[in-house]
Amino acid sequence: MRRHLTVTVADSHTGALPELAERLARAGMNVDQVLAAVGVITGSADDAQLADIGALDGVGAVEEQSSFQLAPPDADVQ
Amino acid sequence: MQSGEQGQTQAVQTTGRSVVVFADDVRGDTVAIAAALRSIAGVSRIAGTLETGMLDPDEAALAEAITFNALGVAVVKADPRRLRGAIAISGTSNGPIVAVEPERIMRAIAHSASAHFSDDEQFTWGLRATGVDTTSATGSAIRIAILDTGLDVGHPDFAGRAITARSFAAGQSADDGQGHGTHCTGSACGSASPAEGRRYGVAAEAEIFVGKVLNDNGAGTDANILAGIDWAITNGCQIISMSLGADVATVSQAYETVGRRALEAGSLIVAAAGNNASRSDGFLGFVGMPANSPSIMAIAAVDSDLKIADFSAASNPAAAGGQVDLAGPGVAVYSSWPMPQRTNTISGTSMATPHVAGIAALIAQKTGARAQALWDALVESAQALDLPATDVGAGLAQAPD
Repeated sequence: MRRHLTVTVADSHTGALPELAERLARAGMNVDQVLAAVGVITGSADDAQLADIGALDGVGAVEEQSSFQLAPPDADVQ
Repeated sequence: MQSGEQGQTQAVQTTGRSVVVFADDVRGDTVAIAAALRSIAGVSRIAGTLETGMLDPDEAALAEAITFNALGVAVVKADPRRLRGAIAISGTSNGPIVAVEPERIMRAIAHSASAHFSDDEQFTWGLRATGVDTTSATGSAIRIAILDTGLDVGHPDFAGRAITARSFAAGQSADDGQGHGTHCTGSACGSASPAEGRRYGVAAEAEIFVGKVLNDNGAGTDANILAGIDWAITNGCQIISMSLGADVATVSQAYETVGRRALEAGSLIVAAAGNNASRSDGFLGFVGMPANSPSIMAIAAVDSDLKIADFSAASNPAAAGGQVDLAGPGVAVYSSWPMPQRTNTISGTSMATPHVAGIAALIAQKTGARAQALWDALVESAQALDLPATDVGAGLAQAPD
């Protein structure tokens, strides 16, 4: 199954995001965003690739993306 | 207008130390408590009421932690947020430590405050309750990012303002097709003199950075929101306001890390604690993601009697993160709404959050405080409320004089 992922880059690698993004791509991740100020890389990958992605040097955490949904604009509580 | 007494209300002061509360099953277990302090908090020099039942004051002065084993409580010389972060990262959120609170300086209170505010011709009740009605601060030269559904940039109340807008919602402009973002932007930094009606905005001269991270249906993902935070930090926003959350109790490593990196970069993130309580039915709810990250300030909602809102989520006693830090006005909040409707009155921790963001901008302008120092200043200047800290944290945010 294809999953949308948030990869938190370890403090040791926040200065080397493009290089880590390349290694993530080689490990099978489709990289969507490289966010330098927060040290996060987002994208998607298949379940079978998650272990390889998580094991890469410089990857602090791999989490499946969450969705957010506001209440409808006419709701009393927002 | 306030009809109650203000004289006895005062700011909560904290010592910089943490009060650590242990689970019932290790209470009284000296060895287990010491082991938890060592492994999770990294504390080695521990003084306690262990052998004699009495605390040696000389020993206590040198110790990094003082344990009250029979109570299952320890006072630790470490910043509470750092400690919560360490616990969240260690993955022991179901372990021996159930809560970390800032150690507060307590004073005797003669009797509790009663208060009632209401909207009047000049100001909303929320601006009256937080002292925005009398502050000399404006938020000038401070940048506030509102990460939400965008802004009705043609709204007359925002005419002439410095606004930078960017959409992270696929295929949509930063214009607000929902309403929520325009309402939150209004509370945080609406005009000091709107063309019609009373004032509802806190930091009326702040620079506005509108990041549309939720689409016109009010939906977004981590990818949108993290990109919005990245953009806000890159643009030097000192305050990032996020009236959004998911009813997820688990602390996200991404948001916890990003909140910390934002603070390191000079940006304070405030987020809505969540609306998942139903207090009248006995449900206290829990602080949702991302406000449950210890590095992100979680905001509860109070009403115009300064009572906790029925929907406002409480600190989660079963998780290391998930603590409410501060409260803001969040019931029957009047603010801007996309034209032609112009204004709307709604409720939520979403409405409380931008009030605190705006007040943070006032304090930042007035004191020069940024990031962690700004967090501390917000907590220290908050008005203590006659409510549990698990509901409102340090109390109601207050504008500087």
